[in-house]
Amino acid sequence: MLGFIVRRAMQSAVAIIGLLVLVFVLTRLTGDPAALFLPLDSSLEARQEFNRLNGFDRPIYLQFLTYLGDLARFEFGMSLRQNRPAMEVALQAFPHTLQLAVIAISLATFFAVVVGSIAAARPGGLFDRVASLVSLAGASAPDFWVAIVGVMIFAVGLDLLPTSGTGGPLYWIMPIGVLVLRPFGLLVQVVRGTMIGVLSTPYVKTARAKGVSPTVIIFKHGLRNAVLPVITVAGDLAASLVNGAVVVETIFGWPGIGKLMIDAIIQRDFAVVQSTILVTACAIFILNIAIDLAYALLDPRIRRQTT
Amino acid sequence: MSYKRMLPALAAVLSLSSALPVLAQQADGEITIVLPEQPSNLEPCGSILTDVGQVLNQNITETLTVVDPTDGSVDPKLATEWSQTDELTWRFKLRDGVTFQDGMPFNAEAVKFSLDRMTSKAFTCNNLAKFGDDTLTVTPVDDLTVDIISTKPQPIMPTLISVAMIVAPSTSTTEATNAPIGTGPYTLGEYGQERIVLNRSDSYWGQAPAVAKATYVWRGESSLRAAMVQTGEADLTPTIALQDATDPAMDFAYLNSETTSVRIDLDYPPLDDLRVRKALNLAIDWEGLKTLFGEESLRASQMVVPGINGHNDAVAAWTYDPDQATALLEEARAAGVAVDTEINLVGRNGIYPNGAEAMEAMMAMWQEAGFNIKLTMLDVADWTRYLQKPFPEARGPTLVQIQHDNNKGDAAFTIPIFYHSNGSYATLADPALDGEIDAALAAVQDKRTAGFQAIFSKVHDELAADIPMFHMIGFTRVGPRIDWKPSLATNSEIPLAGIAFK
Amino acid sequence: MSEIIITAAPPAPRFAGLRTTWRYLVRDKFALVAVGFLVLLVLAAIFGPMLIGELATRPGLRQRNLAPFSFAHDWTYFLGADTLGRSIIARLLVGAQNTLGIAFAAVVVATLVGGTLGLIAGYTQRLYGAAILRLADIIMSFPSLLLALIVLYLLGPSVTNLVFVLAFTRIPIYLRTTRAEVMELRQRMFVQAAKSMGAGHLRIVLRHIAPLTIPTLVTIAAIDFAAVILAESALSFLGLGIQPPEFTWGAMVATGRGYLQSAWWISFWPGLLIMLTTLSLNIVASWARTAADPQQRWRLQKLQRSPR
Repeated sequence: MLGFIVRRAMQSAVAIIGLLVLVFVLTRLTGDPAALFLPLDSSLEARQEFNRLNGFDRPIYLQFLTYLGDLARFEFGMSLRQNRPAMEVALQAFPHTLQLAVIAISLATFFAVVVGSIAAARPGGLFDRVASLVSLAGASAPDFWVAIVGVMIFAVGLDLLPTSGTGGPLYWIMPIGVLVLRPFGLLVQVVRGTMIGVLSTPYVKTARAKGVSPTVIIFKHGLRNAVLPVITVAGDLAASLVNGAVVVETIFGWPGIGKLMIDAIIQRDFAVVQSTILVTACAIFILNIAIDLAYALLDPRIRRQTT
Repeated sequence: MSYKRMLPALAAVLSLSSALPVLAQQADGEITIVLPEQPSNLEPCGSILTDVGQVLNQNITETLTVVDPTDGSVDPKLATEWSQTDELTWRFKLRDGVTFQDGMPFNAEAVKFSLDRMTSKAFTCNNLAKFGDDTLTVTPVDDLTVDIISTKPQPIMPTLISVAMIVAPSTSTTEATNAPIGTGPYTLGEYGQERIVLNRSDSYWGQAPAVAKATYVWRGESSLRAAMVQTGEADLTPTIALQDATDPAMDFAYLNSETTSVRIDLDYPPLDDLRVRKALNLAIDWEGLKTLFGEESLRASQMVVPGINGHNDAVAAWTYDPDQATALLEEARAAGVAVDTEINLVGRNGIYPNGAEAMEAMMAMWQEAGFNIKLTMLDVADWTRYLQKPFPEARGPTLVQIQHDNNKGDAAFTIPIFYHSNGSYATLADPALDGEIDAALAAVQDKRTAGFQAIFSKVHDELAADIPMFHMIGFTRVGPRIDWKPSLATNSEIPLAGIAFK
Repeated sequence: MSEIIITAAPPAPRFAGLRTTWRYLVRDKFALVAVGFLVLLVLAAIFGPMLIGELATRPGLRQRNLAPFSFAHDWTYFLGADTLGRSIIARLLVGAQNTLGIAFAAVVVATLVGGTLGLIAGYTQRLYGAAILRLADIIMSFPSLLLALIVLYLLGPSVTNLVFVLAFTRIPIYLRTTRAEVMELRQRMFVQAAKSMGAGHLRIVLRHIAPLTIPTLVTIAAIDFAAVILAESALSFLGLGIQPPEFTWGAMVATGRGYLQSAWWISFWPGLLIMLTTLSLNIVASWARTAADPQQRWRLQKLQRSPR
């Protein structure tokens, strides 16, 4: 098991370096940052001066070598916009996103397992139909639309919640609510599908015929089999949330890494783009290792291959 | 807060929320301002940028002079009087009894320090752009008098110097700062990723303002900013979209000193033909287009707003005349101009509210008139390649969506960039016009004004060199607690001292 | 011996012929309605623009934000007009072509690329497998926003480039799913048997394993179709999606979001269509899963026999 983790960590390190090279080169092909940082009416000389000052006038491979050298010394560059170390900016933003992602995925998984199990108990029944429709409908609307309508209704119309921002528990409800919708909708389908599959197998039918209570069947046979697919899907969803709940953060003024990343990308704040991607990539790689470990622990067939 | 503790809290709050008032009312003397974007930094040297300036200008840091954008006049601030002593030298008398927020005195040395810091090029200083390629030298004459010497004549030095923020001599000279110290009525209390807080300074040299504490937050969505003021979470937002400005009691329209236009690339046929350029101007239903920007916006005939020195009232904007547009186009075709060449209309995402819609509408109108137009909407960095020299090679005939802001009172901040052959936006290269521009820039007073006016007239009536659109308006939403009116300068500053409580 | 082995291979779950499929479909009213809606949508997307497509780009600045359900104007304005006074009905139809076309193309590309990589990763394991999986990790960690901007800048705004961006970001899902499936399949008896009979790797993968992964991939693709439409919409919200004058439903919602209080219909109709399309696809996918699974098919068969 330890060997597996070490091997995966080393592979991941190689992959992350590959990612950094890719990001470094590609972002530098997306235009002249001087055009964005300086006033539009500044002279060509001023723009050249800016690029010289920040080292953007050198060939890309030289810039990259410098960057690698800095990385080795754990220096990640300065944010051009914020006049602060880029990694400091990224690390400050990341916990905000992580909190959102963890809470949203936990709530979505919990409720999805409950609702999906009940729905699977009587496929095609009323609860199943309603739960499927509602959960899917919630997952099918563009999230920024849901968020703005939510603000109009709950903050402006009913005056129950604050419009946006961070603060006490009330401030969490709408962002979390919007973030939960999609994972919930998908996970309900996953849980329901797997459970129906399991409950249709001959051995469960036999157990049922023998009079084993439905609760026992659902929890003992159903849930145990649903764990793996749920972990897979929830893991992928969590990864996409860690990579930035951009829309929610943008609308609700949440100072997370997704908002930071989109701003940095649009403003060509290269050091911040690289730092945010480094942080989120590490998180995603760790998450993926954790998922594979969970797999190995839960599924004996895979355990054999990983040890 | 960890999520394990969050869950029960969430549940409890959900069940209680209907019974509780959501937000504590803001304390007396405190206000919240919601901006459209997070200020990138708080470096006084970048204060001409809207996001930085709206927090800093006249709040934390001040300038020697201030320009009244409604008529271009220059008023005293940290300088009390000034005069030109020779062609290259201006002498400024400084205000006595002013101290910086760190207790250091404001004097000639401090002015020299601030200007040297700005011109040092040790770090990027956006405000320097306004001085072009000029180099300034500051010589203290006595404790409260300085000479500012330029390398070429600057007849409008008092106007120019209004972009130079005076900072405390303790400020770093080698790198940009996020902890500005100035002479203004407010000091920086908190600078974070969620908010910026300014506190009233006790040692201010002028009259103490009414607002004791100002909190700045930022939200990108206009509807959300409007909602925040409506619910009382914020007191003021400097800009909301036209469609959100629905409450006459809270929403105010103001000319925001921006002028929009479409630049014509004169290097390529068919755009090098005068008839074609006139046809472009005549083919647009200007009254219809105006509905996208609001009733109070003004149809523009030139790139500066009325009130700016050099604005020519006598130039009449083109009116909608589709028949004449088609006739001109046919005339050009008959004369052998390649009017069917595809013209690339280059727009920029998010340039101003309804900017993309405006381009779509104009494209449709031009197509109606017989032009072959293709719209390309680009990201800012991509768009600037078309805006600024050097332009992309082999770009073909292009029209570029432009918005230009001049709230500095003088057409010198506009004309050379757009129409001089070495201007960074210019596709014109007319030696005669260059001469007129140089002469006007060197002139003073009436001759200067007349020179600029003649240029605007020539560019519009004789050359039809571009397609001016509108002098734009912004909308602000102001909450019921405070008394504040937006102005032409709101794009660059929101002086807290100008806010009163009701 | 060989015949026994062949019968031991589970039959590739396929629909039992059009007729039976139709009978299963009729038994599930939800699925029937969903299929009907999707068919109608595809027909409208193909033929609608030919009929009134021109209206979709013709601005009418004097009827900006025209309210819906009014008979004062042409029927094409029955659902209202948008921010430039263009017929929403016409725009929905023209937008359908782009929306469905983009999503379809992106899903097909992602399925093919992801599926192929997944087959290789699952079958070869160790070296290639690990490399491909880390590639998937890289793709997952590469923010789609950044990719969208890079593509916009380097290649310019176009529908094809948008398809590329959307497809690229969906690859890991297909890759992982296929790999997992293949890893399980290759343990099975029939594969081992084919191997012992000397079948080449390529033949085993293409003839015995690949066909069995198709039902799962198709089901995921149906659900992913919705995700792609929504992702495209989010890109439009951030200004990195499809660029005017081209548009999709997602872009229509993004433009209309600023008018929710004054003219809700601008973003409501395209939003509703996105929702209905997504919902229909999910329902059909869920039905297909049931119909294709021999262990569950009895649900549809039982319904068939039941007297109601």
